Amino acid sequence: MPLEADTKKTETFIQAFATMEEAFPYARKMYQPDVLQAAARVMEEPDGMRFLYEYADRFDSAGIFEGGPWAEPSKLEPRLVTGSLMDNSMTAIVEILSELRMVSLAKGKHQHESFTQEDAKEFLDNVLALNVDILFPEETEAARIEGRGKEKDRAERLFQFLADELTLTSITSTLIDEIDGLVAQRPIMVNRIITMVFDAEQLLKRPIGAHDKKAIKKYIQAVTGPTKLCKEIKEPCDYRKRLKEATEKELQEEAKAFAKSMRSTGLVSDKHVILVRYLNREKKDLLPMCLALSKKGTAHLEEHYSIVSDLIKVAIHPPTRQALYGLTLMLERGILSANPVIPGLRRLIELDLLPEVRKILLNSVNKSEGVTANDILVAGTISVLGQPLGIGQGMNPTCQTARGISLWSLHAPGYLLELIPRAARDGDIDIMFEGQAIHSKNLREGLVDDLHEELDPVSLVLVPHLDRIYGELVRRAEFRGEDVHKWVNPAFYGNWVNNGFSSAIDPMTGSIADYSGFVRLFYSTHHPEYNDGHELIYPNPVGIFITNSFGELLGLHAVSIQRVAKDPKGNYRIYFYNPNNDSSQVWGQGIEPAVAGNGEIFGESSLPFHEFTSRLYAFHYNPYEQGDAFAVDKNYVEKIEELARTSWGVKYTWVEL
Amino acid sequence: MPSNEPLQDLSFKRNDQIDRKHLQTRKTGPKKLEHKKRHPEKKIALIGWSVASIEALDKMKRPYLVVSLPDFEEYATTHNIPFLPWEFSRDLPYEDIFKHAEALYRKLKELEVDHAIPIFEETVEWAGALNAHFREDPRLFDHAVLFRDKALMKRRAHIGGLRVGVFEEGETKEDVRRFFRRVNQSLLRHPEQDPDPVHVKAFNKAGAAGHRIIRSEADIDRKLTNDNFPCLMESHLEGVEISCEAFIRGGKVQFLNITEYVVFGYSMMVPPSPEIEELRPAIREEVQKIVDVFDIDHGIIHPEFFLSNDGTIYFGEVAYRIPGGHIFDLMKKTYGFNPYEAHILCCDPNTTEEELDGVFPDEKSFNGHAGSFLVYPKSDYISGVNIPKDLEDHPSFDKHTLFHPGVSKIQEQEGYGNHLGTVFFYNELSDHVKQPLTDYVDHNFFM
Repeated sequence: MPLEADTKKTETFIQAFATMEEAFPYARKMYQPDVLQAAARVMEEPDGMRFLYEYADRFDSAGIFEGGPWAEPSKLEPRLVTGSLMDNSMTAIVEILSELRMVSLAKGKHQHESFTQEDAKEFLDNVLALNVDILFPEETEAARIEGRGKEKDRAERLFQFLADELTLTSITSTLIDEIDGLVAQRPIMVNRIITMVFDAEQLLKRPIGAHDKKAIKKYIQAVTGPTKLCKEIKEPCDYRKRLKEATEKELQEEAKAFAKSMRSTGLVSDKHVILVRYLNREKKDLLPMCLALSKKGTAHLEEHYSIVSDLIKVAIHPPTRQALYGLTLMLERGILSANPVIPGLRRLIELDLLPEVRKILLNSVNKSEGVTANDILVAGTISVLGQPLGIGQGMNPTCQTARGISLWSLHAPGYLLELIPRAARDGDIDIMFEGQAIHSKNLREGLVDDLHEELDPVSLVLVPHLDRIYGELVRRAEFRGEDVHKWVNPAFYGNWVNNGFSSAIDPMTGSIADYSGFVRLFYSTHHPEYNDGHELIYPNPVGIFITNSFGELLGLHAVSIQRVAKDPKGNYRIYFYNPNNDSSQVWGQGIEPAVAGNGEIFGESSLPFHEFTSRLYAFHYNPYEQGDAFAVDKNYVEKIEELARTSWGVKYTWVEL
Repeated sequence: MPSNEPLQDLSFKRNDQIDRKHLQTRKTGPKKLEHKKRHPEKKIALIGWSVASIEALDKMKRPYLVVSLPDFEEYATTHNIPFLPWEFSRDLPYEDIFKHAEALYRKLKELEVDHAIPIFEETVEWAGALNAHFREDPRLFDHAVLFRDKALMKRRAHIGGLRVGVFEEGETKEDVRRFFRRVNQSLLRHPEQDPDPVHVKAFNKAGAAGHRIIRSEADIDRKLTNDNFPCLMESHLEGVEISCEAFIRGGKVQFLNITEYVVFGYSMMVPPSPEIEELRPAIREEVQKIVDVFDIDHGIIHPEFFLSNDGTIYFGEVAYRIPGGHIFDLMKKTYGFNPYEAHILCCDPNTTEEELDGVFPDEKSFNGHAGSFLVYPKSDYISGVNIPKDLEDHPSFDKHTLFHPGVSKIQEQEGYGNHLGTVFFYNELSDHVKQPLTDYVDHNFFM
């Protein structure tokens, strides 16, 4: 194959590679720097990747990866590839060579004892799906002028090579699965989904299956507008004009198409918002159709039409379009009938906002869109009330706080509507802890130093305060000889949290003590077959061990158990809210929380009862609602202990009492 | 009348004459070592783990055995490297090492080993002890200790007529204070207003570990703790620092490499700048002097010298092992021979003249200058690599070994500590190598 690569560079590589191959196996690592540097130089050439690929079937045996994290392909994770590629050290070079090796494995050019051809294909599909933006680089003016940087250029050359060598059909389905998984959780913040949808749009130009094409188009239209008129008219302004001339039938068709798209994806098009605002003024009887409201939702809308109409005027604008979905679900929940909700929302419309709150809210939309900070706050509140399980912690380590906002939205909307003006207007939130008031304005440190601002408006306002309060509660409850959450959680979340508390970790020694007793107590307080049928009424804030796809401990995390119920197949599952809105979590040992397909409500994750239990480390319970711990089958307990010991448990000392 | 004056000692003249006669009939000065030959079929033991040296032994098909920490056993077993795990107890006094080494000696003897070659500074005395046992000459151990104790080696060099700074052994801060004052007094300097610095060094640590520069009396309390004692105190030597790597056979320097320390602790270059290269004959003479004075028959020494502005060469210290800082790799690059193989050949007393023939290149016929820059973390926590944009485009850039750090917490370091990676440069012209070796000292390669 004629290659254009610079012969001096390729000669150096050939020589360095030969020296490494001829070396004693134990000494090959010593020759890595020469081979890697030579490879780095070849990669700068137009045909460099192809040239290196010619050697890729020998990379493993030559020892290029020996002694480093790339040595064992089965231990590599597709989601870590992007980070390595953008690193400006030798890490990026080894990463690229590792991908070339994967192509060689995927095409059967060579074999690996612990990594099959299928494994390699799946790995590459995942890598491509996660990096569609590199595969189809942006052709922006900025990128053209500033250059994209050496790392990015190199990564783009690699992905170009991968795209030439591999079919994009399987990536497409991976990407669509990824979007499906995110959409199933109906998050309030949809930026990431939208980025992926437009990434996927690039794939339409490629030869991919008709089924995949349809799926991608569905998502694109959900964002750009799925209706007949939308396809004709691109500009929002023209669309609005066109609506004025539309016939009743046209309007109905528009309304139905928008509603269907929004309900099936959770994504809202800006033109949908334009239509709703128009109908709100001119044809309110079409509103239920435009939101696909149920009978209950429609009744609720009619009962509270004046406030809903106000809310649409104030809060539903193209930049805050996602709040339309929140409004729809809020109406379905019937929450406006709760006494404090209407005055609570009305108060926000005219609330005097602190300058810093105004600034952070306005930062969340693009400039010159003509919405006020109050509009944004009201829109955000509507979203939170409509999508309690769609609240996410974003990139912040504030899972506890997100969990609180979700719980209050579900069970104490009046309290939540009290907290928002306290923070936004007064710059303070206070709570009582064991007879003493704690004011957030007096506290300095929380868990976050620097809030990552890709958050919904309510979280933007509340998290800085709640985070500091949570931190203070932890400080005050420390050194009591038991896990702080026993006291912190009821004080922080409120009386919805039971006072009974059990943790697998012995706080004095940090070891795992009496694990089987812990498991039995959880079963006898939560599993319907052992807890005398007591139903879980309020979400239970529990602590879990987060593990990676190899079952290795990554850290502790806060989720809430929403309910325990039988899935469509008749097996008991735990349905939980995870503030970390990740589409696919792989926790190792075959434990993979599902977000759809097992009877989940939008926003819930779920696991079979025993699998969830194997990752649990602390939970609350009602001491008066305990069943028979001894009745729990020994086999279950042993099975769970086995899962625990061989995953996160490796990092802990286990003691038997 | 009885006198109050003490009686004059009239015996002095007589006693002095007896002493002088005694000296004339007896040989004085250092005792010569006898480097006996060994059996050709016996094995060599490498004391310490070095893949490059193992590879050298395999390439030359010499029977060998590696003695190192148990951590390396798994790797050695996987790759069929003859291996004996051994836990080298640290911080033992030298006498105890000699005793401890006896058990290891017995094991090695059973395994048909009869010569030990040290790889690292800390294994020099172990190899010395083993060789003393192998050849039943305890003085071979003392000889090895001579290269480990900075005060001892300096004294031996001084006795042999090498130019050294003024030095003393110190036990307390008071000793340092007295030394600092006496040195400054002799230099006619005021100890408070314009003092000359003195150096405090640990007796037996490699590189800059335990080294403190005392620039004022206040420094004595500020920079020194009990851990610094006992120590070597030394007057300051002015000048460019170089190291030499001398390959010795039959008491003669067979090949002399000169390494220029471009920025001490950070970067070095082989061969040195032309100004230093000009001094090669004089430097060679000093190195040969070390060989003679230290009674070295074979092996490799790695002495450090200061070259003052007027060309005077001061002895700093000497190590009896492979140098650090990738110096061997630089030599390999520029001289085109394998110094690791040459090291084994020179250390093995059984090597024949024929085997050594043609191993060494001509010292003058090097091919360009090669430099290494050691990259250290500059903070306790690091999260990524930060390679200067222009580095890889530099005309002298050869390669680097920097990877995204696997761990973010940096272990506590002593001296310059361990480097996390190295940048190599190579160019025909020494200036083109020296410049980047100097430029990147202040750059933080880690984020």
